[in-house]
This record gives sequence, structure tokens and C-alpha cells, in this order.
Amino acid sequence: MTPGWESALSQLRQFYPPDLSPQYLKALVVPLLETLQIAAAATFLVIVFGLLLSLYVGARLPGARLLYALMTCVRAVPDLTLAIFCVIMFGLGKAAGMVALTIFYTAATGKVFADLFASADPGPVEALQSTGGGRVAVALVGLLPLRLNDLLTYGAYQLESVVRAATIVGAVGAGGLGTELYGAIINYEYPRAGTLILILVMVVAVVDRLAWLVRRYPKFLLVLAVVGVASVLMNRPHMVPLAYAIGRFRSMLPPQAPDHLERVPGLVGETLLMAFGGTLLATILAVPLGVAAARNLSPVFVYFPARRFLEFLRSVPEVAWGLVLMGVAGLGPKIGILALGLHSAGSLGKLFAESLENVPPEPVLAMTATGGSRIAITSFAHLPLAFAPMVVHSLFRLEWNMRAAAVVGMISAGGIGQALFNAQQLFHYREMVWYLIVTWALVMLTDAINTRVRKHWRVSEVIVR
Amino acid sequence: MTRRISILAAALVLTAGLHAQNKPLRVGMIPDAGATAASVSEKAPLQAYLTKALGRDVELIIPTNYNATVEALGNGSLDFAYLGGLTFVKAHAQFGVVPLVQRSSDLQFHSLFITGTSSSIHSLKDLKGRNFAFGDINSTSGHLMPFSELKQAGIDADTDLHFRYTGSHPATAKAVESGAVDAGALDETVYNSMIADGKLDKTKVRVFYTSKPFVDYVWVARKDIDSATQEKLTQAFTRLKEGQDDEILKILRGKSFVRANNQEYDALRAVAQQLKML
Repeated sequence: MTPGWESALSQLRQFYPPDLSPQYLKALVVPLLETLQIAAAATFLVIVFGLLLSLYVGARLPGARLLYALMTCVRAVPDLTLAIFCVIMFGLGKAAGMVALTIFYTAATGKVFADLFASADPGPVEALQSTGGGRVAVALVGLLPLRLNDLLTYGAYQLESVVRAATIVGAVGAGGLGTELYGAIINYEYPRAGTLILILVMVVAVVDRLAWLVRRYPKFLLVLAVVGVASVLMNRPHMVPLAYAIGRFRSMLPPQAPDHLERVPGLVGETLLMAFGGTLLATILAVPLGVAAARNLSPVFVYFPARRFLEFLRSVPEVAWGLVLMGVAGLGPKIGILALGLHSAGSLGKLFAESLENVPPEPVLAMTATGGSRIAITSFAHLPLAFAPMVVHSLFRLEWNMRAAAVVGMISAGGIGQALFNAQQLFHYREMVWYLIVTWALVMLTDAINTRVRKHWRVSEVIVR
Repeated sequence: MTRRISILAAALVLTAGLHAQNKPLRVGMIPDAGATAASVSEKAPLQAYLTKALGRDVELIIPTNYNATVEALGNGSLDFAYLGGLTFVKAHAQFGVVPLVQRSSDLQFHSLFITGTSSSIHSLKDLKGRNFAFGDINSTSGHLMPFSELKQAGIDADTDLHFRYTGSHPATAKAVESGAVDAGALDETVYNSMIADGKLDKTKVRVFYTSKPFVDYVWVARKDIDSATQEKLTQAFTRLKEGQDDEILKILRGKSFVRANNQEYDALRAVAQQLKML
């Protein structure tokens, strides 16, 4: 018996009204502070390390290519698997969560920063080189200032992601809002989940404001840096059992193929289905939502609610969407598609809106001068002009979803991710590493396709616009 | 101006973190009944009781993940832990953890198979082709034993059922209650306490099969913990009496505690090995 639409709707209705009882709100103060603290700490480390690594790559120092490949590799590891590695390395607790978030987002950010440096205007950089400046000097005085604005924008975007990603911190024994949301949803405490989503939306909105502040008043960064350093100190690891960890990691090698090798192609198929299906669904939803949320295309009474709706979609992590949908719509990869689709629609919608806002004004003005209607101008000027960046955003999302498809595996949505997660849970670590390699290959493949398409469209930096 | 705000912010954050310098004993619990702030605060009396009994600060930690709890016993970031039967068997095999104490009910533990009141499922055989919920993959009463009982009844979960892992016992109960799955298997004490507390609607769910008894949950010590401290924790539990420590016993969903030993788990170990879950 799969519950019908009616019972699905009646379940979803339970999210409203949210549980705003004083006891519950009081119980959430600590998780909220924990989330903010860990997010501040992780973001600080991510930006510092991401900047150092990407400058290293940007300056083409020895081993730069290897480092770049390594960052791509790390990004393929699902965060919960990283979290377990960190527990082995740093012990159970907030530190392990913080380090896991830092490693993952450093790899992600480092790669984006490196791509940004690679696409920096070559003129000034070559001029600097001709003065005989060393590679490091050129990177510091040339690349860094050229890209400062984009770096700040992307840094703020990372903070938002980290706030949401703090779910994994709960997996290793610290609380946080993500954990609360996960717990509330698996226990069908939907009014409480409603409260948590509300808080997450507010946090995301505040982070958005902070990002704006930093761009406007870069000095404000100093305040954030101080909070970041303090948070890192408070969450620093209390133990580093290095010899033990090395022995433990060694026991995970060599990778071992699973018993039922014949099931693997089917699992890969499910993962591909979720990643492609989810991205397609997100793109279809994000085009109208993006138009509605673009400040230059829609009136305030449309773009304001549209933006809040997009924030709502993306403030619920994929796994949490998956759990809600599982409660109302059954099992299997279709849950994965819907979960990835809804969350990604929130991210893509925002990026699409920004791409539409950033179109060069001249062609639009020309269209307007011909007396075209609003719809015509949007359809024939804005959308085609923003097409290339929108394609690139969608492709980045596809790459992201390839990884996220592995993450939703942990809630039985299927695919290679579920096999990986089950192997990890059962301590079949050598098998887990084998599945990790498969996931990594999938992410690398998507990455390679991405690079191709980006070269074809000659756009590389739009991700941060 | 900016500098002044920075200093203020730093001072605020640092003072918040400068308490509890002496090293507390760290006690981990698998998330058998949820790991949210509400469920952690519900366990505050237990934490207070253990602090008093052990004469040291005790920190209760409930990771959402069984895997992490066991790994933490390996590298020493947990000193004691509350584990399920299967997680104990694994932690013992990997890290030699010492079984200390358990509820008397843990020696004769059961899994309950539940379904919707009006469903047509009345025996394990009726489950063929249906949607089914296990709890956590590492749960004894929510996965290992139900899986084994199904197999004995001629149902291979891998091929005959559409199943998923809900991640916890309450989640399984709720998934059955809401109709998201046709049936599920879970810990009997969690089921009974949810019915008693009104967290589960007894007009919507019914038990259609009770498993054969097996040995389940146990409190363990990391192998390097000195025996005096081990003994203190053991006695803290064996001392608990109905009528006198009801608040603590309710949190632990038990009536009395007995000493545990490794041999009790031989049968369970054999099942786990046979199903390749060890």
C-alpha cells in the first residue's frame, strides 16, 4: 500500500503550524549556537586553506597538478564517510565534525578558487611576470587582487553551505541544527521539523546579509576572522592518535570487490538516474523560479516571495528532503530524484536569477526600443543572454548531485551510495573503499564532461556571479 | 570601531569555551531512541546519577551513527558505551571492549514485527513482496534478528521484500503507523514505551509476530579502563531499584540490571557471522 496523494498532503500539512513552544525553542538554543560556531570555524579554515592551496596551484608551483587532482578526489568522498575517517583520526566529538567539514569544503573551495585564478585576466599577470617577479610574488600581487571580489562572494556562499552541511556533525556526536532536523523528521515530529526549517531559512537569510556586508565593507571580514579563529580554538581536537589511525586506515586496504559484483552496474545506473533526474527536475523548476526571483524582471511582490521560497527549498538538505518524501511517497531512486531536485532547484533558482540580473544591458535596451512586450523581452533577450551561465550552473549542479546521490544513499534511496554506506556501517571497510573508488570515478567523469562544455561555451567563472 | 567589535567578539566566544578543563569520563550511547536535543536533555537525570556514582564529571554523547560510536571506543575518545548486541559483538571483535552490565530483560529480548491494524498481514510469510522497514543496519532487534527470522520463515529480505533502513526504532514504528511501509520490525521495549507514552497510536498498529528470544543491549568499557572504574559503573547500575530509582529506570527502559559476560553472545555471534554482518 503506497499512501496516496491525499495522505501525503495531510502529512505535509503537519509541518504547519511549527512547534514554537518555549520549552522547544529553549532546547534549540544550544544546537543553534553549536551550528553557528562550527560553521564559523569550518568556514574560516576552509577559506584560509582553500586560498593557500589555490594560490599554490595558481602560481604553478611544483606538484600543482597533483594537488588539483587530489582536491577533486577528496570532493568525491561522501561527507559521512569523511566524518568516520575524522572520528578515527581525532576522536568522537565536535572536532571530528569540524575537520570533516573543513576537509570537504577546502577541497571544493580550493578547486573553485584555482579555477578562478586560472581564468584571471592574463594581461596584468603577464605584465607582472615580465618584470621578473617570482611565481609566488605574481600570484600574491597579481592573481589575488584580480579575483578578490569573486573570492569573497564564493566564500560567503560556502558559509551558507557549511551551516546546512552541519548535519554530519551530529553523526559524530555533536548536536547542531542539521541533526535536530534529521532527528525530528525520522521521528515524524513534523511540527518541530517546521520550526527547524524556519530557523534554517532565517540563518540562510542572515548569512546572505553578512555576505553583502562583507562585499560592501571588506573590513568587516576582520570581525568574522576573529570569530572564526576563536571558534576553531574552542573546537580543536583533544586527541590525535596518529599511529593508531594509520594502522586503522591501512586495514582498509587493499579495496575488496563486493560478493555480488553483478549488482554493481544496476547500482551505478540508479546513481546516474538520481543525479541526472534530480538535476533535470531542478533545472525545469529553476527556470520559472529564477525568472520570478530576478530583481530586474519581476516586481517586488513577485521576486520577494520567490526568493524566500528558493531559500526554503535550499535550506532543507537533500537527506532531509529525502526523509520527508520517504514518509509520504515510498521507496527507491524516485525519492532520490525528488530530494536532489527540490534542494537543487533552490540553489539553481538563485543562481539563475543572478545570471539573469547580470546580463549586459545593451541588447535588452535594443529589444525594448523595438517595443517588445515584457514577456518577449524576457524570452528573447534575457534568457538567451543568460543561457551559457545557466548551462554551466546546471552542469556544476550535476557534478554536485553525482556526489549527493551517494549521500542520499544513506537513507536507503539506493544506488552506489547505499551500498557504500551499508558497507561502512557493517565495518566492511575494504569493500567501502572499493565503492568509494566507483563513486570517485563517477564524479571525475562528470567533472571531465563539465570542463569540456565550459571550454566550448567559453565560460569559466560564472559560478560565483 | 572594527577592531573594538573584533576584540569584543573574541572575548565573548572565548569565555563561553573556558569551562570544564578537568577531563570528564565520556559515555556514549547508540541512538536507539533518537539523538535530538530533546532526547539528550531527557537523559540529563541519568548523567547526573552517573556523575554522582562515579565521583567524576560524566559527559553523555549520543552520535546519530552506530559506526562512529564503535570507532570511538577503538581510539579512546569514549570510555564507556551503551551498545546493542550486534554492535557489541563487533566492538569486541575489533577492539576487545569489556561487557559490564545489562538489563535483566536484555537476556531474553524480543523483536516485534508490527503492521497497520487493518492490514492483511498476519504472518511472516504474508510479507512477501511488501514494503518493509528495518531500523538501523547495525541494530540487533531492528535488523539482524528480524532478518534471520524472516530467512527461517522462507523470506529472503534481499529478494522477497522492498525494504529500507529507517535509522531508528521510533522511526520504524512511525513509518508503519503512517502507512509509509506495510510492516516493520523493532525493539520491544521501544514499542511498549511509545505505546505507554502515547507517542504511538495503539489503534493504528498491531504486533503480528514476536521473535524468539535473544541477548541484546549491554554497557561496555573500553579495554584500557581500570577495573576499579569499571566496577563503579557496574555497581551504579546493579544498585538501581524499582520504586527508588524510577526516573533513571524509565530512561533506561528497564527494571533491574545484572552483570554481563561475553559468552552470552555466542549464539548472536554465530547468526551475525552466518548472515555476513560481522
